Amino acid sequence: MATKRKSDIGNGNHVADEVDLFVERAVQGEDKSEDDTTDSEESVYSGLEEEEDTSDSGEDQDSAESDDFKDDDDNLNENEMKDELSKKELDVQNNNRSNSDLSQTTQATVPEYEYDSSDEEDIRNTVGNIPMEWYKNYTHIGYDIDGKKLVKPEKADELDEFLNKMDDPNYWRTVTNKLTGQSVILSKEDVELIQRLQEKKHPSAQNEMYAPWVEVFVNETMIHPLSNRPEHKRSFMPSKWEKLKVGQMVYALKMGWMKPTKTQEDKEADEEKEEENKFYMLWKEDEESEISKRIRQNIPAPKIPLPGHEESYNPPPEYLFTEEEKKKWEEQDEEERRLNFIPQKFNSLREVPAYPRFINERFNRCLDLYLCPRQSKMKMNVNPEDLIPKLPKPKDLQPFPTQQALVYRGHKGMVRCLSADKSGQWLASGSDDGTVKIWEVVTGRCMKTFKIDDVIKGLEWNPNPSLSLVALTVEHSVILINPGVGDKLLVSSTDDMISSFDTSETQTGKISPVEWSVYDGKKYDEGFRIKITHEKEVTQVTWHVKGDYFATVVPKGDSRSVIIHQLSKRRSQNPFSKSKGLVQCVRFHPVRPFLFVASQRYVRVYNLLKQELSKKLMTNCQWVSSIAVHPRGDNLIIGSYDCRLSWFDMDLSTKPYQTLRHHKKALRQVCYHPHYPLFASASDDCTVIVCHGMVYNDLLQNPQIVPVKILRGHTPENGVGILDCVFHPTQPWIFSAGADSTIRLYT
Amino acid sequence: MKILNQTVKMEALALSAPHVQVKFYTKQPQYAIPDTPFSVPSSVTTKELSSLINSLVAGESGDGNIADFDFLISGEFLRLPLDQHLAQKEISSEDVVELEYIVHHPAPRPEHSMDHDDWVSSVQGSDKYILSGCYDNTLHIWKTDGGPIMTIPGHTQPVKCVAWVDSQSEEPVSTFLSGSHDQTILLWEWNREKNEIDCRHCCRGHAGSVDCVAVDSSRQRFCSGSWDKMLKLWSAVVNMEEEIEEEVEVSQKKKRKGDKTKKVQTRVPLLTLSGHSEGVSAVTWTDGNEVCTASWDHTIRLWDLEQATQKSLLQGSKVFLDLAYSSLNRLLITASADRHLRLWDPRVKDGAIVKCTYTSHTAWVSSVAWSPANENQFISGSYDNLMKLWDRRSPKAPLYNMGGHEDRILTVDWSIPSLLLSGAADNQLKVYGYLDAQQQLMENI
Repeated sequence: MATKRKSDIGNGNHVADEVDLFVERAVQGEDKSEDDTTDSEESVYSGLEEEEDTSDSGEDQDSAESDDFKDDDDNLNENEMKDELSKKELDVQNNNRSNSDLSQTTQATVPEYEYDSSDEEDIRNTVGNIPMEWYKNYTHIGYDIDGKKLVKPEKADELDEFLNKMDDPNYWRTVTNKLTGQSVILSKEDVELIQRLQEKKHPSAQNEMYAPWVEVFVNETMIHPLSNRPEHKRSFMPSKWEKLKVGQMVYALKMGWMKPTKTQEDKEADEEKEEENKFYMLWKEDEESEISKRIRQNIPAPKIPLPGHEESYNPPPEYLFTEEEKKKWEEQDEEERRLNFIPQKFNSLREVPAYPRFINERFNRCLDLYLCPRQSKMKMNVNPEDLIPKLPKPKDLQPFPTQQALVYRGHKGMVRCLSADKSGQWLASGSDDGTVKIWEVVTGRCMKTFKIDDVIKGLEWNPNPSLSLVALTVEHSVILINPGVGDKLLVSSTDDMISSFDTSETQTGKISPVEWSVYDGKKYDEGFRIKITHEKEVTQVTWHVKGDYFATVVPKGDSRSVIIHQLSKRRSQNPFSKSKGLVQCVRFHPVRPFLFVASQRYVRVYNLLKQELSKKLMTNCQWVSSIAVHPRGDNLIIGSYDCRLSWFDMDLSTKPYQTLRHHKKALRQVCYHPHYPLFASASDDCTVIVCHGMVYNDLLQNPQIVPVKILRGHTPENGVGILDCVFHPTQPWIFSAGADSTIRLYT
Repeated sequence: MKILNQTVKMEALALSAPHVQVKFYTKQPQYAIPDTPFSVPSSVTTKELSSLINSLVAGESGDGNIADFDFLISGEFLRLPLDQHLAQKEISSEDVVELEYIVHHPAPRPEHSMDHDDWVSSVQGSDKYILSGCYDNTLHIWKTDGGPIMTIPGHTQPVKCVAWVDSQSEEPVSTFLSGSHDQTILLWEWNREKNEIDCRHCCRGHAGSVDCVAVDSSRQRFCSGSWDKMLKLWSAVVNMEEEIEEEVEVSQKKKRKGDKTKKVQTRVPLLTLSGHSEGVSAVTWTDGNEVCTASWDHTIRLWDLEQATQKSLLQGSKVFLDLAYSSLNRLLITASADRHLRLWDPRVKDGAIVKCTYTSHTAWVSSVAWSPANENQFISGSYDNLMKLWDRRSPKAPLYNMGGHEDRILTVDWSIPSLLLSGAADNQLKVYGYLDAQQQLMENI
């Protein structure tokens, strides 16, 4: 009930208040206009607005008030229990209010400075801000400024209270001032103020919280300036600092130091462009460039060694040169000197003179630094083992001769030539002591000795198994002997063949380059059969595989240096009209009608049927000593006096397929084994080197050449080691003839 | 108790050394000892073991040193200290090692040396006589005590092989064969009483030097091998009734000698067997109808003479120079053109199985011969001038080396059980007396 009534009164109040405010405002507005003459329009404007606003706000207020009812009701309902308390609060506020009210009221009557208004406390009671309950039991309520007790006003009893309540229309706005105990009737403004505070509004209604915003500076250009102040000079003078700054920027732009900042778009465009233009160097080497590498792998210059005791100005006495050392130092070449100065002793550092060679040494150091390229040496990590071609183990290539088995002793001079008979039972040897000996291979027994009384240079057993003949060269002649060993039938049939020859057949028109003669009498009984006398010294005789033809080499015979003989017809012919160098050695091709003629540096291959030169092999060596033809005829080995053995493949080039340099001295003889894939070379260094030389039927597969064994045993005589070597015809054995007058068999 | 003492004594030799448990046994009953295991130091040698056995045997019989003993561990001679041998053979030294002991073979004694005019290429003994062939184309007959009986010329080329055909017969006539480089085999008849020698037959047919002959046990046939790769079978019977024309050359030579009255008859082979691809170096009979040949073509072939076929082939890797067959153990021993002797079993059919390799020579082994009495022993002659006596059970070390020759030994023979014969290129024929342990024992008893 009370609240309802209160609100009603409030409304009435409000209207009255409004009028007051308006009056006040008008006064204020006048003041304003007086202050701000220039902004008169504004003030007018605002005033108008204010007026409208207030009228509006009145209605607004109403609606707000009606809203507040509810709030108040709620508050009341909630705070019914604390009614007393809220009343007290209200009392306090009212009290304060009344104070101000009092002051306001006194304002009008009492001059302003009559009492100290700085303290807002009511100064009529001087007890201060203490709980007034303390004076509850006293008759006074405090003391006034003069120290006199303020007597509590007489309190109306409850009946009067009730009567007042019923009768006094101002009862609702009467509050008690606690300090003085007097009841104060709140003015209309106070009540309003309290109400506004309760509504949590600004205490004074004049202060409009939601007043429309009046912009002082607006975007709309105003025709009049806000102030009439004249413009400063610098507002129309160009800025000196700006000019300086711009000048710097321009210069930076000009120099390219500054680049226009890129916008986002530009950047994107650039990126796109970059992506489009991105090329990958497919063939670029992974290695970085030389310069960057040099920068990265910087090799610091070698440091100068630190000075030692010698360099000291006061070196220990042992470092000082004695007279001898000094003399020696002076005699020495500058390069040889261990020290490039003489250590000197000074009493103090002060006496040390300037170092005279300083510039010189610096210069040399500079020369060293720039003239010596500092590069890290790239090392190839190659295992030397890997460079060696994979060769099979010699063990897997057996059989081959490995050790000496027999020594054939009996010759008294160096044994120059060897030949084994086809069956392998006999071995013939020719020596410088003028004898030819026939040996039984298995026991080493000398079965026969033929005395020739001259150096036997060459000797070869007839390869025809149905003939028992050995051809040997002595001085100017070739002698065919029948050794008379082996099958008796063969021996006799050979003799028959020789004796049955009709001498009349030899008479042909051509002049024979040689002379054939037949032994008889005692010499015949000894075994000598035919002698073929040449014009010059004969060094070699070699049989054709069939055993009918044989060739002799007469190195000094010029155009008649190679002569081919036919045994069955006792004919000799000179196949070459011109000499092509000093002929060293000849061999027949085992299968085809070819003749290999080795001069000092070349091996010429002649086709005897077509009578033409079919090939010329470059041996790459200085002096060919011997040649041997593979039993199949497709390969050839050449031994030379310059320690080389060259393997030629006839199907390949005219250059050696492989060159072996295992011997330390000149090669004297090379030979192939007729069955096993072996070849050997005999040398003056008293070794026979046996090699495995596998020739494959498959033309695509190259021969496999593996040295397998070095055979030793001979002793050198006058610098000559082994003169001849020959393989056993059926076993993997090799015979060697040495200058130490022995023949050795290796098995 | 005594055994224990002995053991203690043995242990005293090497207190700290490791010991091995051994057990002794023998096949010679006169030396038998109780079957008790002994603990001996593992580094014990044959000599110490031998003295131990001696003391054990003597402890029972009562006398002193009886004989030296040799020891065998699972069929192989103990030559090294026991622990080394066990380690080499990978025998556990923690088990009881069984040691067989046999009486040590006495050393052969060099007895005689017969001088020849040239290399002695072949030799064979028979009963009381020794026949040797020489490179000066002659044959020699010697008494076993070294006395020469006669020198027989007859061949025109060096003699390569000799063989007695029949010398033990009661009749005073002995026959023998000789093969030569002149491609013939001569069958000789020697009257011991009259000391007359006659060449009865000249066997022709070979086209190369006759390198070996071997006579059948029945003394009726013989085989010959030659460089011409052929094996030929001939009759060994002296048969004067054969009417074959005399070869002119031989008769001429006989006439020149003057004292030969009986005619020499040419004999042709009964059978020719070809198969070898190189010369035949050795031939031996293994059976009444089976011949074994060794050749330069690295093969050993067995031939059946009844069917005239090759029975089997043993492939080697080196040239064979000689071959010997023992009827006691039916094994072949071969000498090759290398340092080794190889033991073969001809009954094994599948491929070449070398049962054992004997290595001690330092040069080619030129000839080999089995003992006629002892199944375990054989001799070999080599180009290193040594003759070696081997026991089949000792592959690394021979029993004895017999030096004395100054040049390559070309032939050895052990036809007479008590004599070892060797012919060499130093023109000597050496005779070594040898008594087998058992024979010696018999003599002792």
